[in-house]
Amino acid sequence: MSKSIVSTAVAGVLLALGSQAAMAAPDWSKVPKRDLHVFHAGVTPIEWATKKSDHSGSAGMRKGETCAGCHEEKGALNFNFKRLADKELEPKGAPKTMTFPVAFQAAYDKDNLYIRLSFKSPSGGADKGDKDNEVKATILFADPKVPQADQYGCWQTCHADARTMPGADEKKTKYTATGAYELMQWASKGNKVSDGSVTTERKMSGGGTGAKAEAAKSGDAYTVTFTRKNPGEGKSVPFGVAIHADNAHGRFHHVSLGYKLGIGADGDIKATKQ
Amino acid sequence: MGGRKPPYHLGITKSSAVRDGAGLIGVKGDGSKPHTHGIGDSVMAGNGISGFWAVLRRPSAKYSLLSLLVVGFFGGIFFWGGFNTGMEATNTLDFCISCHEMHDNVYQEYKKTIHYTNRTGVRAVCSDCHVPKDWTHKMIRKIKASGEVWGKITGSIDTPEKFEAKRLELAEHEWARMKASDSRECRNCHSFDAMDVERQKLRGSKMHKIGIAEKKTCIDCHKGIAHKKPKGMKEDEDE
Repeated sequence: MSKSIVSTAVAGVLLALGSQAAMAAPDWSKVPKRDLHVFHAGVTPIEWATKKSDHSGSAGMRKGETCAGCHEEKGALNFNFKRLADKELEPKGAPKTMTFPVAFQAAYDKDNLYIRLSFKSPSGGADKGDKDNEVKATILFADPKVPQADQYGCWQTCHADARTMPGADEKKTKYTATGAYELMQWASKGNKVSDGSVTTERKMSGGGTGAKAEAAKSGDAYTVTFTRKNPGEGKSVPFGVAIHADNAHGRFHHVSLGYKLGIGADGDIKATKQ
Repeated sequence: MGGRKPPYHLGITKSSAVRDGAGLIGVKGDGSKPHTHGIGDSVMAGNGISGFWAVLRRPSAKYSLLSLLVVGFFGGIFFWGGFNTGMEATNTLDFCISCHEMHDNVYQEYKKTIHYTNRTGVRAVCSDCHVPKDWTHKMIRKIKASGEVWGKITGSIDTPEKFEAKRLELAEHEWARMKASDSRECRNCHSFDAMDVERQKLRGSKMHKIGIAEKKTCIDCHKGIAHKKPKGMKEDEDE
């Protein structure tokens, strides 16, 4: 009996230590940073991006070009931000800061994928539709069934008829016609973490990432660290980042282009193995 | 001269000249008393336009060939110069925006674009893009453009609402013209031969490489660069 108590206790300690080791946060000082420039995209849903008369670059997209392949240059985005801020593409009014960098770090171990986002959240937003949350940070991961997700990132979930788009149904969320995205979001009010998905609709719960998040704020600088289940070593997962700054809601976020995260595999960004 | 109506003798009064006629211009050899009308007497022919035309067709005997050539040469220069000057006047920005239809609509949009102001100080005005440079195509364009006068008279785009309603149709006409000419007016300044795509921004560089490979023409992609794009644009059928 005593033996079994001892062995149970030892097993418990080992399990605890093991799980602690598995959950051990990476040494972020040893994980490379890559600046992803998020930007206010205005009313440029996937329908806009793939329509030649709206976006001449759609000809390149049809040939397999990625958004970042044309628009990320010399460590920044080469968009015509004047055009993006113009009434035609942003009828409600553009934020004062059209783009800002988010330092992206990723590491993984056998069980988990760790992602840290560090950014200064700009003020001067044109929309303050989320009264509760000053800031939200979201990451979407596309599954292999999402068409051209490695080119378009999360643009496949962004549609002209989704809420906050001009004239759209305010109850219709983002969606993807084919495949699915995992969604994890940190919201500033109460440090709330959502583990959701985007399929034919967006759900803020019931996801499969097991997402957890920690956040720290220093002035206007935020550091948000996500921990989620490892999607699988050897995978290259398309993803995109969105920051809702200054109480923005819906489409009034700053978003990144689409990138691939290599987990023990090739990618635009390679996660560091722990 | 046998089958013609009796010509008028332009200033020929000597009967000898009437008789032999050789070496003289426009002398009638029927022995009748010659007329002494000048060119300006055409109306006296009594047949109106046909009489005037007959006079025009008749050789002159009053003026020497050299005089006619000199007058014709310099007259031609003055006429041609005047004609071209007049035509060039219709190619200026001031002329184009002298009507409120252009001034209040497309001009205001164009002023915000790189073809109006840019770091190098080179400006492309309306005619640089919308009127061919070479004479033949310019004349054809000018003649076709006379239809725009009818539009002005009838007020087809004389309000912002009317202009918006016709914007797509007007733009489609111009895009079709540019496409048919392989964007000739764009190529007066821009050409793939002179273009170093490696020195362009990434997005332009990649798209121009595709354009060169697929033998695209400028207007295939560069629509709405000097004016607002119309609503309801059709997608290209070849895409």
